[in-house]
Amino acid sequence: MRKGLIQFSDVCLDYRLYRDRSVSIMETLMNVFGRGTSRDWFRALDHASFQISPGESVALVGSNGAGKSTTLKLLAGIYSPTSGKVRTSGRIASLLDLGVGFHPELTGAENVFLNGALLGFDQKRMVELIPGIAEFSMLERFMDTPVKYYSSGMFMRLGFALATSVNPDILLIDEVLAVGDAAFQAKCYDRIFGFRESGKTIVFVSHDPEAVRRLCTRAIWLDSGRVRMDGPVDDVMGAYLDANTGRLINTAASAAPREWGNREVFFSRVTLTNGSGVPSRTFRQGDTLKVNALIETREAEEVKNIILGFSIHRPDGETVLASNNLENGEPLLTIAGSGEASISITPEIVEPGNYLLSISLTGNDTDYHWQDNFYPISMLGAKKMPPLRIKSLRVVGKLDKKSQ
Amino acid sequence: MTGGMLLMKSLVEKDLKVRYKRSFLGFLWFLLKPLFSMVVYTIVFTKIIRFGGAIEHFSLFLLTGLLPWNFFAASLSASAKTLLDNQKLIRSIYFPRVALPISSVIANAVHMLMAMVVLEVLLTAFGHIPGLSIITLPVAIVLLAAMTSGFAMMISVGNVYYRDVSQFLEVILLAWFYASPIIYPLGAGLIPARMEAVIKFNPVAGAMEIFHSTMYYGTWPELWAWVSLVTWTAVILAAGLLVFKRMEPSVVKEL
Repeated sequence: MRKGLIQFSDVCLDYRLYRDRSVSIMETLMNVFGRGTSRDWFRALDHASFQISPGESVALVGSNGAGKSTTLKLLAGIYSPTSGKVRTSGRIASLLDLGVGFHPELTGAENVFLNGALLGFDQKRMVELIPGIAEFSMLERFMDTPVKYYSSGMFMRLGFALATSVNPDILLIDEVLAVGDAAFQAKCYDRIFGFRESGKTIVFVSHDPEAVRRLCTRAIWLDSGRVRMDGPVDDVMGAYLDANTGRLINTAASAAPREWGNREVFFSRVTLTNGSGVPSRTFRQGDTLKVNALIETREAEEVKNIILGFSIHRPDGETVLASNNLENGEPLLTIAGSGEASISITPEIVEPGNYLLSISLTGNDTDYHWQDNFYPISMLGAKKMPPLRIKSLRVVGKLDKKSQ
Repeated sequence: MTGGMLLMKSLVEKDLKVRYKRSFLGFLWFLLKPLFSMVVYTIVFTKIIRFGGAIEHFSLFLLTGLLPWNFFAASLSASAKTLLDNQKLIRSIYFPRVALPISSVIANAVHMLMAMVVLEVLLTAFGHIPGLSIITLPVAIVLLAAMTSGFAMMISVGNVYYRDVSQFLEVILLAWFYASPIIYPLGAGLIPARMEAVIKFNPVAGAMEIFHSTMYYGTWPELWAWVSLVTWTAVILAAGLLVFKRMEPSVVKEL
């Protein structure tokens, strides 16, 4: 096989779904024994086939859950297919998740060595690569600092520099470039374009049509795990965007909050607080985000089976988290006149930043009240001690009259 | 060095480096821990239950068995967490994952080896001069480490599916400790003969017997000890590799 070739023939991949609904302590106890929950299979890829020649840059597009990330993980060798064959040749660099192998207590340089070993490089090769990595990530002065003192930007920079320093034949990119400041993003794109120009194979997953068009010549549209369309990037992106116009308008409007529904049942007052009940819009890793809602109905009788839901979106409209009481196995709401309800979320914050919270009241086939992207919130990473603190400080100034 | 060896070396180094960060006594703990447990057991078995009095230098006898046992128990406990602790890594790059349980066993073996050097000095100082049989000790250490790796592979996989495995393991290890010839010698008439026959089927009994005879008594280990150790090692290591290989694809998705 020529280096940089990818063959994906008739690939299926099944995940097992668990329905863990630990409602009561007893049920939790029951779950301890035998994990007494129903099992389902979810087919993430369904007889997908394609071939990518060396030097091609190909985008994988499709809605969430279409199988894009699963495809990348299969290419990276992380998953093995349930059936079918995945063949790749040459060295693969995967930018799926930057810096994950880093141990917080080890220094930047130690982490580079460890990661190099995970990628199969010997010590000598890593010694050669380190100066380049340090320079590209602009971390020359911090290579001997434990990475737990790095900012998230520094962390990502080191991760990117390391992953791309290995001169790969195939580069797998999963939207990681959304992180880091603009200047570093530009630098990352430069390096990736450099790879493309030197004839490396690139597989790119992104929700940004602009980035896809800039980088890729070909696109593969995945839909529910199947290849729906495969061809020149403009054709595929055109068809894909057409088919998703509704959805895209929705997300395009996402920057502005939107409120809709028949309002038979509605939110009359909503406050966001942290776990201890203090109003807050900023949450750290480990904090609880609590949505307290006063819900009213205009109906004379009580309204039963109300589903209270929420979702959290990135500024570009991409949903990162969504659930409701039905899905979570909690009782549905019944409102007579007015009542209070709350949602408590303790998110694991993988990517700190600004997000938008949507909440909704729905019933059986009715939309009572939606508040889409209504509540801006900020998620921060875990608190880090700064590497330096002031133990004692004296600032002495002496001014003579002449200079005044 | 081949890629696999290098990976193992890096993971072991990381394990050792990380373990003693922010620890005042640092590396010394490899010695302090067995010494503390030796003191406790010595008091219990010579002053409270007068049992150890029958053995000369009971505390040294104890330590000879405690070091390999601590290695065994610590490796198994560590292996339960090794896949879970590294789940992000496993899910974002490919590398031979079997390196994770094996490297945690090797890191613990490094501790055992250093402590053994100190123990051998102590033993010699108290008149337990090693005989020629000491040359078989490295073989026993390698076999014990291989068997431990086999167990570690199975436990690391099992704990991904059922977190109870790690809880259960703690209980099992407690019983296992007393079912192994660590605080008592075999063939000295201290325990009923029928019990001895059962204890000899314990997978670690052979190793303990070899450690005691080569390091403490300075004699050649009995044949049954070698037969037991070699057989169990082959069985457990093969089972561990098989289970790990079979389950690896679904474990990655399950994490």
